[in-house]
Amino acid sequence: MTELTREDRLLQTFASLADTLVDDYDVVDLLQMLVDTCSDLLDTTAAGILLADATGTLDVVASTSEAGRLVEMMQLSAEAGPCVESFVTGRVVSVPDIGESPEEWSLFRESALAQGFASVHAVPLRLRETTIGTLNLLRDTVGELDPQDQTAARAFADVATIGILHERSIRETALLAEQLQGALNSRIVIEQAKGVVAHTHGVPIDEAFALIRTYARSHRLGISQVAARIVDRSLTLDT
Amino acid sequence: MSGAFATAMDALERSGETPAGFCRPFLDVLPVSGASVSTVGELLGSETLSASDELAARLDELQFDLGEGPCWDAMATGRPVLEPDVRGRPLAAWPAFSAAIIHADISSIFAFPLAVGPLRMGAVDLYSIAPVELDRRQARQADAMAAVVGRHVLRQALNAVEHDGDDTGNAYSRRLIHQATGVVLAQLDLSADDARLVIQGYAFAASQSMKEVAQDILDGRLNFSRHNGGIEASE
Repeated sequence: MTELTREDRLLQTFASLADTLVDDYDVVDLLQMLVDTCSDLLDTTAAGILLADATGTLDVVASTSEAGRLVEMMQLSAEAGPCVESFVTGRVVSVPDIGESPEEWSLFRESALAQGFASVHAVPLRLRETTIGTLNLLRDTVGELDPQDQTAARAFADVATIGILHERSIRETALLAEQLQGALNSRIVIEQAKGVVAHTHGVPIDEAFALIRTYARSHRLGISQVAARIVDRSLTLDT
Repeated sequence: MSGAFATAMDALERSGETPAGFCRPFLDVLPVSGASVSTVGELLGSETLSASDELAARLDELQFDLGEGPCWDAMATGRPVLEPDVRGRPLAAWPAFSAAIIHADISSIFAFPLAVGPLRMGAVDLYSIAPVELDRRQARQADAMAAVVGRHVLRQALNAVEHDGDDTGNAYSRRLIHQATGVVLAQLDLSADDARLVIQGYAFAASQSMKEVAQDILDGRLNFSRHNGGIEASE
């Protein structure tokens, strides 16, 4: 039995991502796989991807934990914090010590520190000059992300961008906006499906997501597809 | 038979922005002389939104002024009120209203509640000059048509007051609202759009933000349930 190095596992991940992009795929599934890979393979405690809607408001589309507090903290970062900074500037924003972050980011800072996060690395999702969202990596230790991990994060962000935009040559801004909205809309349906399952199964919202995801995986279906069927009540998950 | 009903439902679905179109479909499907659509009570105030004729409008006005009558009962109970012989059997329940219409050219009167989920906001009133009864199928059809009108009325009212919908909240509160929408659609077996409308209307009625209502729903402090055919909210 051979122990796989981290590099081997990274390579495998990119290979399977490339496979995914060739077939019909569910963009939320892809983004979920990306954030999970970030927390598995990189020196990262939690990760999340936020996309901008037509008005430029950033919304969480995938995160390693669906825990309300984590999602809320990322949204705070999207209002005043490294996330929106990276989105607006189109650059990587590294905050090696959240405790030392600017005063204007105090809401984000308090929420992050309270959850045990010490540093954050935000990478823009960019298509040429247009930034469509950000990938956020949170860690429970202070300091810069290791340079190799930074490179990998950059590559993950690019894969996410390509995955969201599906088509290689998108010239029209309208089409771009439409595809972004498509990804955000599937997120709406997923949230609604979580509510349905939380009620029908009597479980907390976070657990509801896990149930939906497990069902999607075991039936080889996309999360968005399963969510849509739960919401229109044509599918009831087994209890 | 069902063809006329389907056509009427279509017409109602499409009449969203124009209350003037609310009454006609009822007359096309049911053996009645006139129809009116009114909001009554605290949620949206008392106002006639649409009436097929003068008499229909006057019947509503009488009920507003007197504070009693079939539309108030439909609103209060959330159930249809069927009175095929309003003159022969003056109801003790509506002494003032019955007295007021004694000389009017009316034999039968019916009222169907305007409601979305647990929110009741008014009624569709129907009257007939000749005595007429609505059979169960007709009553069900009228109820279904009134439900469509109810959604339009609530949606319009909420748009008009620009109650803080999802625009004032941040992305996180929108997420909570989507989750709560899922809970409510499962509790009441509604479409996602209607479930969201219930949350929005409930927030409006309770002078709360949608986020607050969503949080109460997610924490189980506020429950909607179907109960004996009606819908209830329990806190």
